Amino acid sequence: MSKYETNDSRRKFLKQVAAGATTATAASIIPSRAFSANKQLTVGMNIPMTGDLAPWGLPGYYGCEIIARNINAAGGVTIGGETYDINIATYDHGYETDKAVQGMKKLVLEDDAKMVMMLGGATVAAVLPWATRKKVLTTTLLPSDITPDSNYLVATCESHPLYNATGVEWLARNYPEAKTAVIVTNNDVEYGLQSTALYQAAFEVAGIEVVDTNLHGFDVTDFAPIVSSVLDKDPDIFCMATSFYVTPIMEQLYHQGFDGKIISCTLDFYHEIIAKTSVDFVNGTIFQFPDFDDPALADVNFPDPGGFDAAFRADHPNDWSAVAWEYPVILLNWIENAQAAGSVESEAVTAQMTGSEQNFVFGGGSWWGSQLWGLDNVLVGRWPVVVVEDGRARIQEYGDLAAWLDANNDVLIKHMKALGLRTV
Amino acid sequence: MNNFIPAKFRPVLFLLLLYAGLIVLPHFLKYHQQDFLIFLTINILVVVSYRLVTLTGEWSLIHAVMMGVGAYTSALISKNFDISFWITLPLAGVMAGLVALLLSYPLFRMTQFYFLIGSFAAGEAIRLSWIQFIKPFGGTGGTSAIPSPELMNIDFLEPIPYFYLVLIVVSICVYLLYRIENSRIGLTLHAVHWKGVLAESVGVNTWNYRTLAFVIGSLFVGIAGALKVHYIGTVAPKQFDIGFMVFILIWVIVGGYRTFYGAIIGAVVLSVLDEILRGVEQLRPAIYGATLIFFILYLPGGLESLPQKIKQKFRANRESAT
Repeated sequence: MSKYETNDSRRKFLKQVAAGATTATAASIIPSRAFSANKQLTVGMNIPMTGDLAPWGLPGYYGCEIIARNINAAGGVTIGGETYDINIATYDHGYETDKAVQGMKKLVLEDDAKMVMMLGGATVAAVLPWATRKKVLTTTLLPSDITPDSNYLVATCESHPLYNATGVEWLARNYPEAKTAVIVTNNDVEYGLQSTALYQAAFEVAGIEVVDTNLHGFDVTDFAPIVSSVLDKDPDIFCMATSFYVTPIMEQLYHQGFDGKIISCTLDFYHEIIAKTSVDFVNGTIFQFPDFDDPALADVNFPDPGGFDAAFRADHPNDWSAVAWEYPVILLNWIENAQAAGSVESEAVTAQMTGSEQNFVFGGGSWWGSQLWGLDNVLVGRWPVVVVEDGRARIQEYGDLAAWLDANNDVLIKHMKALGLRTV
Repeated sequence: MNNFIPAKFRPVLFLLLLYAGLIVLPHFLKYHQQDFLIFLTINILVVVSYRLVTLTGEWSLIHAVMMGVGAYTSALISKNFDISFWITLPLAGVMAGLVALLLSYPLFRMTQFYFLIGSFAAGEAIRLSWIQFIKPFGGTGGTSAIPSPELMNIDFLEPIPYFYLVLIVVSICVYLLYRIENSRIGLTLHAVHWKGVLAESVGVNTWNYRTLAFVIGSLFVGIAGALKVHYIGTVAPKQFDIGFMVFILIWVIVGGYRTFYGAIIGAVVLSVLDEILRGVEQLRPAIYGATLIFFILYLPGGLESLPQKIKQKFRANRESAT
C-alpha cells in the first residue's frame, strides 16, 4: 500500500470515528453492542486504576471508552475484510508488579486482547519476559522501558521525557534573559531522574545554567524547605521536571513569591492549582500537555479533538489528565496499523507498525530509540509546547523533537549516565 | 467417617488430600489464576515466617523488607554473576538472616511499641537505600531481566511448572517452621512471650531467643522473596513497601495468630476475596476495609476461632433445646 493510500484511508477512518461521535452522543443511553452484529475486537489496558498512580491510568480508560463508543456507533472498524466493534478490557494492577503479570495473562489469554496498553515502569519490566516471548504487542508511555530485545514493546504516543526538550527550546527563544534554572523533582528512576537528565541536557543546549537540582523522595509532605532552599540560588527558571507533586510545589512557589518562569512536564489538574493560588500566578507556566479543546489542535491526527474533550469532561468532569488522550491516541494508531496490515494479530501489526512511516498524533513521526535503549521502537514527532494563558492551557507551537534528538543525543546520554540511568 | 479413621491418621489423610488437590488445582484454573496461586503460595510462607517472629510477642514492621533483602540478593547475584537460581535461593535466605542478625543488636534494645517503630525505621532505611543507590539496585524502577530457574528442560516461565517448584519449596519451609514451633525452641519462644520474666528467672536468655526467632523468620521470608522475583523477572522497592507489610499484618490478624494455620487461613481468604472483588475496582478498597472492620468487631480471635465459635453456638442451642 502506498503512503498516499495509507494516508487516504486513515483520513477516512478518522472522519468515520468523528462522525461516530455524533451518533454515539445521540445514542449514548443504548449500548451499541446490544444490537451490533459485528465481531468483538478486544484491546487490553493493564493499568493502575486504583492507588497513587490511578490518575495516570483511569483517565486513559475513560478516553478509550469514548473512542470505542464512537467507532462502534459509526458501524465498527473494518480490518482484513472483517468488521469489528471495539471492546476495551481492563485490568487494574494498582502499579503492583505481580498483579501486572496476572493482568497481562488475563487480558491476552482469557479476554483475547490483541494489544495491551500500559503506563510503563516496573510493571512493564515485569510483563516483558512473558509478553516478548508470546509476541504480544504492548505499549508504554515510558520509552526507557525499551530494551534491545523488547521487539513487541512500542511507545507510539508519549515519549517521556524526551519531548520536554521542546518546552525548553521555546522558553530559551522567548525569554532569552532567563539564564539560570533550578530543578526539583522526585528521585524515582522511571519518571523523575529520566526527566531530570533530559532537562539538564536541554538547558545545557539552550545555554541555561542549572544552579541547583533537588531530587527528593516520595515521602516528602512539606515542600516549603525544598522550595526555599532552591530559591536561595535566585534562579530565573523553576523546573519541576516530572514531579508527582506539582500542586504543592506550585503552592509553595506562590507563597514564597517566586516571579520567574516555571516549566514542568505536566500540569495535571491545573484548575485546582489556580484555585489554590491565582490565575495571574499560574499564567505563563510552560508545560507539554494540551487540553483538547485547544483551537491549535484543529489539524492533528485525532478525530474531532474538541468533541472528544467535551465528551470526556461531560462524563468525567474532574478526571482529565495527561493520559486522557494518550491511550486513545495509541488505540487509534494501532487500529490504523491493523487496517494497513489487514490483520489484528500482534506479529503482523507490529511488523506493519515498525516497518512503515507513521503519522504521529501531532504531525511528523519517525522511529527512534536505538541511540539510548537499543531499539527504534519510540515514535517521535512534533510535540506541543503549552502555556497557561488567562487560566487556560494553550498551545504556543509544535517543537521538532526528532531534530532536537538527532542534534543533541550525545548531550542527553552524558546526563543520563551521570545520573546512573540505563543507556546502551 | 471419623469413626472409621483412627485419629492419628487423620492429619496424614488431610495432608494427602490437600496435596492431591493442590497438584491438580492449577490445571482447572484460568491462566491469570495460576499466577495468583503462585503468589498466594509464596505469601503463605511470608505469613507463616512472620508468625514465628510474633511468637516472642514482638510484632515487627520489617518483614516485607527482609523479603526484599532475599529478593534483591538472589536477583542481583544470579543476574550479575550468572549463578544458578538453585544456589542463589538459599543464599537469599542466608543474607536475609544475616541482615536480621545485624539489626537485632539495635532493635532488641527496644520492646513492644518501640520495637515496632524501630523495625519500621530500619526497614525504611534498607528500602530507601535500594532507591538511592541506583547501582547496583536500580533505584525505584529496580532491576529486571532476572533469570528463571533452569532444571533439565522444564520451562519455569510457565506458571504450572513454577507453581510445583514453589509448592515444594514452600512446603519444605513451612514444615521446618512447624517443627521449629513445636520443638523446645518453639515452646521457649512462647514462654518468652507469655512468661518472659519467669523464663529469664529459670535461665532462658530472652534476648537470644527473640533474635533467633527474628533471624529464622527473616531467613524463610528471604527465600519467599527469591521465589517471587525469579518468577516475575523484576525486583523493585515498591514490592516490599509498607503497603505490603500492612497486608501481611492484616492477613495474620484476620486469620488469627494463636494457631499455626490461622495466618495461612487469613492470607488465603483475604487474597481470594481481593481477587473476587476485581471488576469493581472503584469499590474494592471500601469493601476490603469494611470486611476488615467486620472481622475486628465480630471475630476478634480471627478466622481460626470461627470453628470453635460455631461449635459453642451449636452446643448452646442444643442445651437450650433440652
